Order: sequence, then structure tokens, then C-alpha cells
Amino acid sequence: MRLFIFAIGGTGSRVLKSMLMLSAAGVRPLDENGKPVPNVELVPIIIDPHKGNEDLKRTEQLLTAYRMIRSKLYGNRTDVDGFFANRIVTLREIMRDSSIQLNDTFIFNLSAVERNKFREFIGYDTMNEANQALSSLLFSNEQLENKMNIGFVGSPNIGSVALNEIKDSDEFKAFANVFNAGDRIFFISSIFGGTGAAGFPIMVKNIRQAANLDINNRDVLRKAPIGGLTVLPYFNLELGDDHRIDKADFIVKTQSALYYYKETLTGANDSNLNTIFYLGDQVVSVPYMYDPGEHGQRNRAHMVELVGAMAPLKFAGLPTSQLSDENGYPLPSSAYEYALDRDTLDVDFKALGSETRALIYDKLVKFHLLFIHLNTGFKDTIGQGYTLDKPLIKTDFLASQFYRTLSVEFMNGYKDWLSEMYNNMRSVQLFNVGEWDMNKAIHDVNTSKSFFGRKSVDNGVFKSVMNHLSQNSTYGPEEVELKFMDLFNRAAQKIIDERYENIN
Amino acid sequence: MKRIVFLVMGIVITLAFLMMSYSQNANIFELLYFSQGFNDQLYNLSCYPMVAVIIVSLAWGGALVYYYGINSVKFDRWYHWLGVLAVVTCVAPVLCYMLISVLLKDNGLDYGGEAAQFVMQLFAMTAVLYVVASYSVRWWSSNCRHTPFPQ
Repeated sequence: MRLFIFAIGGTGSRVLKSMLMLSAAGVRPLDENGKPVPNVELVPIIIDPHKGNEDLKRTEQLLTAYRMIRSKLYGNRTDVDGFFANRIVTLREIMRDSSIQLNDTFIFNLSAVERNKFREFIGYDTMNEANQALSSLLFSNEQLENKMNIGFVGSPNIGSVALNEIKDSDEFKAFANVFNAGDRIFFISSIFGGTGAAGFPIMVKNIRQAANLDINNRDVLRKAPIGGLTVLPYFNLELGDDHRIDKADFIVKTQSALYYYKETLTGANDSNLNTIFYLGDQVVSVPYMYDPGEHGQRNRAHMVELVGAMAPLKFAGLPTSQLSDENGYPLPSSAYEYALDRDTLDVDFKALGSETRALIYDKLVKFHLLFIHLNTGFKDTIGQGYTLDKPLIKTDFLASQFYRTLSVEFMNGYKDWLSEMYNNMRSVQLFNVGEWDMNKAIHDVNTSKSFFGRKSVDNGVFKSVMNHLSQNSTYGPEEVELKFMDLFNRAAQKIIDERYENIN
Repeated sequence: MKRIVFLVMGIVITLAFLMMSYSQNANIFELLYFSQGFNDQLYNLSCYPMVAVIIVSLAWGGALVYYYGINSVKFDRWYHWLGVLAVVTCVAPVLCYMLISVLLKDNGLDYGGEAAQFVMQLFAMTAVLYVVASYSVRWWSSNCRHTPFPQ
């Protein structure tokens, strides 16, 4: 099954980044029995005309790094356990129709939108007087003059016009061509901004009205299971002189959009959208720098994005019977919300609900221990123990593209992600950020007690367990990377089970 | 398979060593050092098999302790292994010297100088047997199987 994830706007990119971190940790979609859904491929497609958006750029870099790391580990295999378990591909990678030329990227090409001011895009100057008057009624002068390469600046009325062009794009045709029965579609967007609030309903409309489009797979698309994460207001902005985006409008915009969604997407008998996840937080974030787009828009990662990242995985695991009737037609919307186990400003693993903990605790802890190990102990291990079992892990491994991408590019992204969530409001304190001692790395979780005090966890323990596991493991001569990551993953699981307090 | 071959070879070499310590014509302890009278007394007092057992026990015991008793990532470098070798190769000859001295003394004999020269060869024998024992047993050690050399 392929899950096409349309991440729209800045929030879309940030939630996608969190999903990437969960995927890197090995969090996979689970079915109703708690078993990993087989043969899942995630196809993220970022829709954002604001190419200079720092959040988009960071997410794209991490996606590219993820893809490279995963390809080295597992090739094209889908059903794997361990770090970087979810296979993430670009549209180009899975395209069959070679007549469509696409860049091998996760970003939807919106060049037709990006290069224009909105007034040029709608042909304002060529309109007759009556239409110009109508346009001026619908759009303010600022909006007409808005250069759309910085996005829609919190104006969904611009976005809803500009993004309607998507259905004619090569990317949309390519998506329609590769979409098969059994695949699913998921949208991630905020409801209180411009790009996401506008893009989400337009995309759903275009997919459901696929019969009117000149594309393949019309019927399959029309019946496709569609889910969406709608992110309600959760962040705060610094006050500025410019009021193109005003946090005071967030709630009003949200209400308006929710009414619109109810009419077009999520009504009681409406089956345009099968599943919707509503997510927001009344605790507002640390204020972000006011930046409509000109300065790159680099916002801190936030707990809402972490929680939101679980929505597409949850959707991928929903049984088909909850999404389609016996004839394959989509069922009316069902809505999901999310609550913490404890309403606290400092969110650690214990504040998350048990279902969330069961999904992410072991995986994230393992990944965090990997992060610490790569920074503090791995280099010294080379030439000893398991690294001398075949295939050998030699010092040149440290210079390999895989290792550099993992330990520098991806892990720096992970560190930033953790720090940003830690320094935000609510503060996500899953781990003690900056703590290199594995015994104290997990917030409010100690190592378990033993006869002589508390059990110890350090790089030596990892080396020892990996040595032991390596004795009974076999890897091919080309599987050096897999050997290291698989041994570490299994060792970390054993250590979590045997040496840390159990909080699940 | 390689592991089993090394283990069997180690056992064969060790058994050969023990058997050669019983031999009258080609006794291994008389190949490197021979002093008429002193060696006759050692043979007559059945010292050779006892010396051989001590050396074999310490060499194999040292290897087993290192690879399965210590078996720690904190002691998995070649110099740790060498340290155990040093201990074993020192202890075995000293024990043998004490044993020989006691036996000779109990029989009213005094070969102090010869005994000291005799045990010098035991350093080398113990070291060689420790290496043999190491290569026989190290393969199944979880943390030290690559010490002193990678498999």
C-alpha cells in the first residue's frame, strides 16, 4: 500500500519533519491488532509555493538524507524492522509513465504560481472593468500585489484560486497515474494560515472530482480513502508593525474554515474525506518571529507537530472497512482528536497516553541512544569486537557517505528538532537535551535497580551486547551499514528491556 | 568449522605435550635442557608429568579465564591478553620450581642451580601453550574473540 502524503504549507513541512523523525526511529503504521501494516510506502509531496521557507528546506534536506540512508540499509525492501523502517519515495521514483518529466524531489513544482504576483496570476490587468471591480471586492490591494513566491501570507482566498492550478500540473498527473486501488491519501495542513487552509479542500475536491479530469485512474481516485490532519491554532507570533498575518485572526479564520470544511468535506453524510484528525493546543507556543515569508520563516518544532506526525501513520493502519463500503465507495467522515494523559506544560513520555507510549517510546529511546552513541562512543569501537566480525566495519566507514549523512546531516536535524521542541511551549522533554550520559538521557526514567544500586548503561554495555548479538548474526559482504544499525537496534531493545525502568 | 579445527588442533597439541612429558626416550623436558643426574632424578620422581599438568592447567586455565571469565569489553585489547600471558608464564615456572625443589629436598637431593636453569624453558613452553589454548577457545567468547588478533 502506498500512502500519498500531501504536506501543505509551513505546518505541513514541519509535521512531515516530525514524521520523518518517527520513521527514522522505526515507528511504523500498525493495524488494529498492533501488527505493522505490510508493504507500506510513504510518498510525501510538499505543496508550498514558498520555496525559500526554511522549514520546507530543512524538511526536504532531511527527506533526502533519510532516503539515502534507507536505501543503503534496505534497498527497495518495504517490510523491515529497525531504524529507518518506513520506505519513503518520491513520485518520480515510482512513476511508470515516462512521458511525464518530473524532478526527483519531494516538492510539488508550483512554478506557475511562484513567479507571479497574484494580480498577474489572475490576469487582473486584462479583465474588464466589472471583473476588476469584483476582484477588488474579493481581494485587497495588498493581496493583489502579493508575490506568491513567499506563499499566500495567511490568505486562503488567494491560495484557493492559485492552487486550483494544481490539477493541471505534471505532478498531479503523475500522482494520478501511479495511484492504485488499495493506496491511500493523506493531507497535512494548518487551518489558520493561507496555503494549507486553501490547499487541503482544493486537493480533496480535485481528487473526488477526478472524473472530470484528463487523467488515468479516475475511478480509483474517486473512491480513494482520504484522510487529513487539520492543525488548529497552536503557535504564537511576535508583535510587528506589519499586520498581513495577525494572530488575532487565527481563531476567526479557523472558525470560517471549519464551517467551510463542514459544508464541503466533513459533513455527517459527506464522504469526500473519510477520516479527519483535529489537532491544536490552547497553550500557545513561544512567540515565533513575525515573518510573512521574506526572511525564510524558520519556526521551532512543536509538540503539536510531533503528535500530528502520528496521524498519517494511524490512518495507514485503519482497516479498510472503516474507510470504504463493500462496493469500495468511501464512507462518511469520522473524526479523531488527541489528548495528553496529563495536562502539563512539560511533556515527557509519562505525560503521553499509553497508546502513544506503546507506539513511540521504545523506538525513540533506541534512536536517541543511537544519537548519543554516534557522538560519544562509536568511533572508539572500530577495530574491536563486533566491528571485526564480517563484514568488517573499518575506519573508512567513518568517511562513507552513509555515515556522514547519518551522523552529521540527519542527527544534526534530530538534535535541532529535539532542542526546538524542548525550548517551545509546551516543552517536550522526552529526553534530557544535551545530556550525553545514557543513564540520565530519558527524562524522568531511570535505569532499573539492581543488587548493587542502579544498573548502568554506557557505550561499553552497548559494545558488549552488540558483540554478543553479532556472534549469531549473518550479514552479506555489502551490508556493513545494515550490520551496524541492526545490531545497535537489537542491542538497544535488549538494554531498554533489561536496564531501564519500564514505563509502558 | 574453522573454530572446531582450531579447538581439536589445540587439544591434540596439548595431549602430545602431555604424552611427551611421559616419554623416556624423547621427553620434551629434556630436549631443551639436559643435565645428567638432575634430569634422571626428575624422571625417577615422576616430576615431568606433574610439571606438564601444571603448565597445561595454567595455560588453558588462563585462556579460559581470560576469554570466558573476564570476557569484558574493558579488557578486550591485545595488551590485556598479553598481560594474562605474562602472569601465566611467570606463575607456572615458579610453581614448577617450588614443586621440584620440594620433591628433591624430600629425597635429600640438592640441585638448586640445575632446577633454576630447568624452569627457564618452562617460560617458553607455558607461553606457547597459552597461545595454543587461546586459539583453541577464543572463538566462542562474546567480547574477546578477536583478541589478540581478529578472527
